[in-house]
Amino acid sequence: MANRRCIKTLTQQLYKSKLHPNPPSSSTSLQHLRTLTQFPNLPKSHHTFPNPNFISPLTDFTTYRHYSSDQHDNSDVSEDDDSEYDDDDDLESNVANCAVKKEYSQEEKETEAAAIGYKVIGQLQRSDQVFKAYEPVFAVIQIGAHQFKVSNGDCIYTEKLKFCQVNDKLILNKVLMLGSKAQTMIGRPVLPEAAVHAVVEEHALDAKVIIFKKKRRKNYRRTKGHRQELTKLRITDIQGIEKPEMPIPSPAKKVEKAAVTA
Amino acid sequence: MSQRGVWQLQKLIVSYCNWGGSSRGVRAFMESELPSFKEANPQLEVVTELNRGQHPYLKGLYKNKNERVVSVMNMTPEEVQLCATRLRNSLGRKVVKLKTRHVTKHPSVQGTWTTSTQI
Repeated sequence: MANRRCIKTLTQQLYKSKLHPNPPSSSTSLQHLRTLTQFPNLPKSHHTFPNPNFISPLTDFTTYRHYSSDQHDNSDVSEDDDSEYDDDDDLESNVANCAVKKEYSQEEKETEAAAIGYKVIGQLQRSDQVFKAYEPVFAVIQIGAHQFKVSNGDCIYTEKLKFCQVNDKLILNKVLMLGSKAQTMIGRPVLPEAAVHAVVEEHALDAKVIIFKKKRRKNYRRTKGHRQELTKLRITDIQGIEKPEMPIPSPAKKVEKAAVTA
Repeated sequence: MSQRGVWQLQKLIVSYCNWGGSSRGVRAFMESELPSFKEANPQLEVVTELNRGQHPYLKGLYKNKNERVVSVMNMTPEEVQLCATRLRNSLGRKVVKLKTRHVTKHPSVQGTWTTSTQI
């Protein structure tokens, strides 16, 4: 722990003394507070971390101490004010969702969707014969952080998928395992040439859950309601594994029997 | 929303009052965003109803004979559009807590595991 504290204060001192070529300015620090998707570049030349993938509160350089004796450039101060006001305006102009509305470009949508594990193909047309009979084939799929074992014709409720509308066709590409009656294929961790087709059925809110907090004898009681946004997907097709041949359908059998007896 | 490709919301009734202040958002919604909503959903029958002296609401009639009434009192036009889109996006099913997130008729492909199953 003493080592951690030493490193944190050392790096803070490094940034303050402006010896580092790219010190994180305070305007960027505010952005880090809002969107925790990026981490600043670690000063590799000065300290060696035990694990390159080591991410801890230590590596969050956004909280350093501001002293009144610090020398501020005028430009830095005005940048702080502008970025603060911009963030506040964004938050105030929200409607019901309380989320910052970001304009996604088409490529950003596709990359984010691919990261979660799906890809939008297009709207379902009336002419598409997508809903087939049940086939005895299953697949283990990952969407976001959840995994499901699905088969043809199943319904799945996931967290709300942002970039698809109702009646959209999707390809779910994170397939971890495929199986049929005679064969099982295990991915390491993902099967590269497997795909599962699904159709978005609905985007709806779950039933209300009441979050009730109470501390007894301390006059503290809070009630909060929460409705989770869900997406219902219907799985239509699993590709990447040999499916067993279907048995002969019964109307054909009856016709043959009639022909034989006649 | 649509089950197997069939849209489940049949009719949307927008009930408003032309005098009351709680209907201000709905009246603005009807002028600005309702025409585009109608065009985006040709399968949906949208009806506006004048109901003087009452607070405004949106009523959705679904194919399973279910009726969902959402009050849009004192809402901005954007919020009203969000409510209308939510009604269009949902099935008519009763809003109950989900038992499972995976609904299937054929739970096992290779046979259900028992203690005596051998691989």
